[in-house]
Amino acid sequence: MSDAVRTLRVHRFKRGDDAPRVEEHLVPAHEGTTVLEALRWIQLQEDPTLGLRHSCFHASCGTCGVRVNGRERLACVTRLSDVEGAVIVDPIANLPVLHDLVVDMAAFVARFPQPHPIVRESEFLPESSPADGIDDHERYEDCIECGLCLSACPVAATDDTYVGPAALAYAQRMIEESRGGDREALLHWADQDAGAWRCHAAFECTEACPSDVRPAQRIMALRRELRGRRTDHDRAVPDRPATVTGASA
Amino acid sequence: MSERSPRQGRDAGVDEILEGRREPGPVARKLPGPVAWFDIRGRSTGHLAFSLNRITGLGLVFYLYLHLLVLSTLLRGEGSWNGFLEIATTPLFLGFDVLLVFGLLVHGLNGTRLALVGSGFVPNRQKALFWSFMIFGAIVLVYTAIHVFGSEG
Amino acid sequence: MATGPAIATGSPRSRSWRWTAITGVSLLALVTIHMVAHHFVVDEIGGLRTYQHVLDYISTPIIFVIEGGFLVVVTIHAMLGLRSVLFDFGLSERRRRLVERALVVLGVATVAYGFALIGILASRA
Repeated sequence: MSDAVRTLRVHRFKRGDDAPRVEEHLVPAHEGTTVLEALRWIQLQEDPTLGLRHSCFHASCGTCGVRVNGRERLACVTRLSDVEGAVIVDPIANLPVLHDLVVDMAAFVARFPQPHPIVRESEFLPESSPADGIDDHERYEDCIECGLCLSACPVAATDDTYVGPAALAYAQRMIEESRGGDREALLHWADQDAGAWRCHAAFECTEACPSDVRPAQRIMALRRELRGRRTDHDRAVPDRPATVTGASA
Repeated sequence: MSERSPRQGRDAGVDEILEGRREPGPVARKLPGPVAWFDIRGRSTGHLAFSLNRITGLGLVFYLYLHLLVLSTLLRGEGSWNGFLEIATTPLFLGFDVLLVFGLLVHGLNGTRLALVGSGFVPNRQKALFWSFMIFGAIVLVYTAIHVFGSEG
Repeated sequence: MATGPAIATGSPRSRSWRWTAITGVSLLALVTIHMVAHHFVVDEIGGLRTYQHVLDYISTPIIFVIEGGFLVVVTIHAMLGLRSVLFDFGLSERRRRLVERALVVLGVATVAYGFALIGILASRA
C-alpha cells in the first residue's frame, strides 16, 4: 500500500536522439521505497523502454549508480523519503551515456593502469565458474566500480584525460600492498600530468564513495609516495571507522 | 602480477565502442565546462575549498597584472601618481583593498591546508583544517578592514 | 610496464606540485612583508606612500632585493597555478607542452617588466 505519490524527473536519451530530454513520472511510494524501486516501477508500469542498470539491490554490485538531485548515489539504497521535492534522476556524469541512465563503464575501466591485476583473488571460490562469455572474475579491493567518484570529481568535469579517483585509489592500494604486483610500474603510471597530480583535493570522490574506499585520501598517500618521502600509510589512511568494520577505531 | 587480463570478459559491444565503430552518446555533464568547478550546490567542504581556491587564484593573477599596471603610473612622474592616490583613497577603492586581502587570506590559508593535506599529512582532518583556517582568516580580515577604513580619515 | 590508455608517458611530474608548494609557503612570508611594509607602517594618505616616499623605499638595497624576490616568487606561483588550471581542460600532450612554453615566456616577460619598473624607480631616488 502506497503512502504518497512522488514525482520523478528522469533523464532520457537513446542513441540517435538529437539531445537528452527529461521525462516526468508520478510514482506511488511509501517510507522505504528506493529510487531503484521507483525506476523499476516506471519500467514495469509505464515505460518498458526506460534504460537502467542494476543487479544486487543491496549496494554490493555498484551497477545502479546515478545522480539523484545532483548528488551521486546508488539508486538501490537511496530512499525517496530522503529526497525533498521532485526526485531528479540523471546518469552519472563525466562518462558517455549509452541509454537513458546507462553510461559506458568501459570508459571508466579503461582509465585503470593496464595490465591491472585483481587484488582480491581469495574472494572467489575455487569451484566457481564464470558465466558464459566471461573468462575471468575481476574485482578491485573494496571498490565496487560504480563510477560515482568520477562523476563527483570537479576535475573530471573538464578533463577526460584524467584517470580519476578510482584508478588512482586502486594503484595506491596495489602500491601499499603489492602482493607480487609491479610497484615501480604503478608509481610510474601514477606520476603523470593526468595522474595523481591532476587531483586538486576537493575530496568529492570520498564524499560520493558508497564503499568507503576514500579515494582522495589514497591519492594524497600516493602523492606522498611519489614525492619519495617515508611511507606511512597507517597515518595517511587509517583503519576504517567502527561503523563500517564493527571494530573500535 | 596476475596473468588475468582485464580486457577479457567485457560486455558485448564494448570493443566496438572503444574502437569507434559504434558511437556512444554524449558525456553527461553537470554543468558546461569550467562552470562545474564553481557549482558548490549540495557539495562538500572540500569542493567549496577547491572553488574558493580557484576563483581567488585567478583573481590574484588578474590583480598581479593590474598592480604592475597601476605601479607603471609612477614612471609618468609625481602628478600621475598623485592622481592615482586620490582615486585609491575613495571608499569604493578601499573596499576593493579589503576584497584583495580576502582573496589573499583565502588563497594563502587554503593553500597551506592543501600543502599539508597534499603532502599526506592530516588528510582525514581536511574539513576541520579548512574551517579553522577560515575562522583565523576572518579575524585577520576584520582587523585589516578596520585598519583600512580607519585610515581613510 | 603498466600503462593506461588515457594518459601519456613522461617524466616525473611531482616538480610542479612541489614548486607550487615551495613558492606558496614563501609567499606567505613575502606577501605579509609586502603588505605590512607598504600599507601598515606608513602614515601617508590612506596608508599609501607619496611619490618620493615610494622612490626612497624601493631604492633601499634590502627592500629592492625583497621586492625583487617577491616578484620572482609570485610570478612562478602564478604561472604554475595557471598551468594547473589550463591542464584541467584535458589538453593533449602537444598542447600541454605549448601551454608550458607560453607560460615560461609570459613569466619571464612579467619578471623582466617588473625588474625594469623597480630598477627605473630606484634610479630616480
